[in-house]
Amino acid sequence: MSAHPHAREDKPPQSVQHGALSVRDLDKSFQIGGRPHKVLDGINLDVRPGEFVSIVGASGCGKSTLLRLIVGLDTDYSGELRLDGERIATTSLDRGIIFQDHRLFPWMTLEQNVELALLNTDTPKDRRAKIVADHIALVNLTGFEKAYPHQLSGGMAQRAAIARALVTEPRLLLLDEPLGALDALTRVHVQNELQRIWMAQRSTMVMVTHDVEEALYLGDRVIVMSPNPGRIRRIVDVDLPHPRDRRSPLLHRLKDEILAELTSGADADAADNLVHLPSREPR
Amino acid sequence: MTGWLTRFPVRVAIGLVAPALLIVLWQWQTSEHIVTFAPPAAVGTALLDLIRSGDLARDTLATLKRAFTGLAIGVPLGVAVGIAMGIWKPIDRLVGPLLHALRQVPMIGWLPLMGLWFGMGATTELAVVGMSSFFPSMLNSHAGVAQVEKRYIEVGGIFRFSVAQRIRYILLPGAMPLVLTGITQALAFAWIATIGTELLTGANAGLGVAMQLAQVQQRLDIMLVIIGVTAALGFTINQLFRQLRQSLLRWQPSV
Repeated sequence: MSAHPHAREDKPPQSVQHGALSVRDLDKSFQIGGRPHKVLDGINLDVRPGEFVSIVGASGCGKSTLLRLIVGLDTDYSGELRLDGERIATTSLDRGIIFQDHRLFPWMTLEQNVELALLNTDTPKDRRAKIVADHIALVNLTGFEKAYPHQLSGGMAQRAAIARALVTEPRLLLLDEPLGALDALTRVHVQNELQRIWMAQRSTMVMVTHDVEEALYLGDRVIVMSPNPGRIRRIVDVDLPHPRDRRSPLLHRLKDEILAELTSGADADAADNLVHLPSREPR
Repeated sequence: MTGWLTRFPVRVAIGLVAPALLIVLWQWQTSEHIVTFAPPAAVGTALLDLIRSGDLARDTLATLKRAFTGLAIGVPLGVAVGIAMGIWKPIDRLVGPLLHALRQVPMIGWLPLMGLWFGMGATTELAVVGMSSFFPSMLNSHAGVAQVEKRYIEVGGIFRFSVAQRIRYILLPGAMPLVLTGITQALAFAWIATIGTELLTGANAGLGVAMQLAQVQQRLDIMLVIIGVTAALGFTINQLFRQLRQSLLRWQPSV
């Protein structure tokens, strides 16, 4: 892997020490109709502290499953998952996740939702309000503290979910198609915000997406996965400084390459995919 | 725009149209003598008499006391059992089948047995009213907890919630809409059960007792007054609870 000196040089060294994810020989199967069905096969991946890694691949390549394993919601796997050398056995406040649906509790205001994330942290009670306000400001939602989730637009709710995920300052933030449900314009807007937040927060981020352009725009590296069973097909380095320019010729060239890669594999077993795809990736 | 149609005074006025028509129809049929009916004016007089004598106040209070004592026992118990069943599967497996079988028995069906045990008195009335508010509270609270989405429970897992935190911050608020639906039903059932048991047990005071007495005395006017009061009170209780429900569920998108 090539080094990425651009835009990251200003980081204080201690923040670079945290958030190293290592995935070794990871296999994962589900029982489907009484038979084991392999969804992840021999995944090996190292994510550097502070790196932004995007994962793209067709439905059914197990990319969401991979994130659920890393965050600790599913612990039934073989192989090894480590964050900063520590084996992942359950969920932890060191690892945050943002889902495609914002999952804010509808019965709480934005502010209460964000503050609830701090419930089991050792953050002193008297500092919580300030930290919550800072994170709401970080995602540009100041003024909406008392709003209930149903009163927010899709983009605002997703930004609120980002604030809630970041408020515990996780060493690793996982993003499971976080912008998948947003319209194209809102999507671009939140992508820009994500990039800004990542540059400010400097935590390690791993994002799963369907959108190759998004993967390239945000990722230091893009992992291309193939389905049935889910394997890493290719790892693409995106050697461009952040913040990035969407019009960069390199991004466009890489996009064409990755799309070609993704569609060439699909042709071979297209008929197979058509029949089985919807049931392959349990949520 | 039909916004003015939803304004409160307008809504009340529209709601009064059907009752007013009913009174007109009633007056007309009284003169035609299709069935035996007291004319509206006679019922009005009977109402005033009952208010003046204090009978109406006494009966109404007795009924309200009976209904709300039963509710005070049945609702908390029903909500607690239902939520416990929703949270802990073994409790559901243990008592669920029994409770689902028992609720098939109409509340009035318990009267003979209860009467045998406790006599046709306050205890029996309370037991029947309590049970009729217990079952809807229990069933809806159970369903309320069961339908809390797994994706919210996962969020609790991400933030390392303890069991108590999961119950307090996710399961209880998530179940709240259905818990309140259960209580709404419990209010209606308890009201019906109260009047019903009063009719059948002949307690010393109450709207049901007054109805029974009016039948014996062939006082059609009093009967109609009591029916009207029963309907109006039941309606009012329901409306008041609806207001409370709406303010408790203000986090829900308005339907």
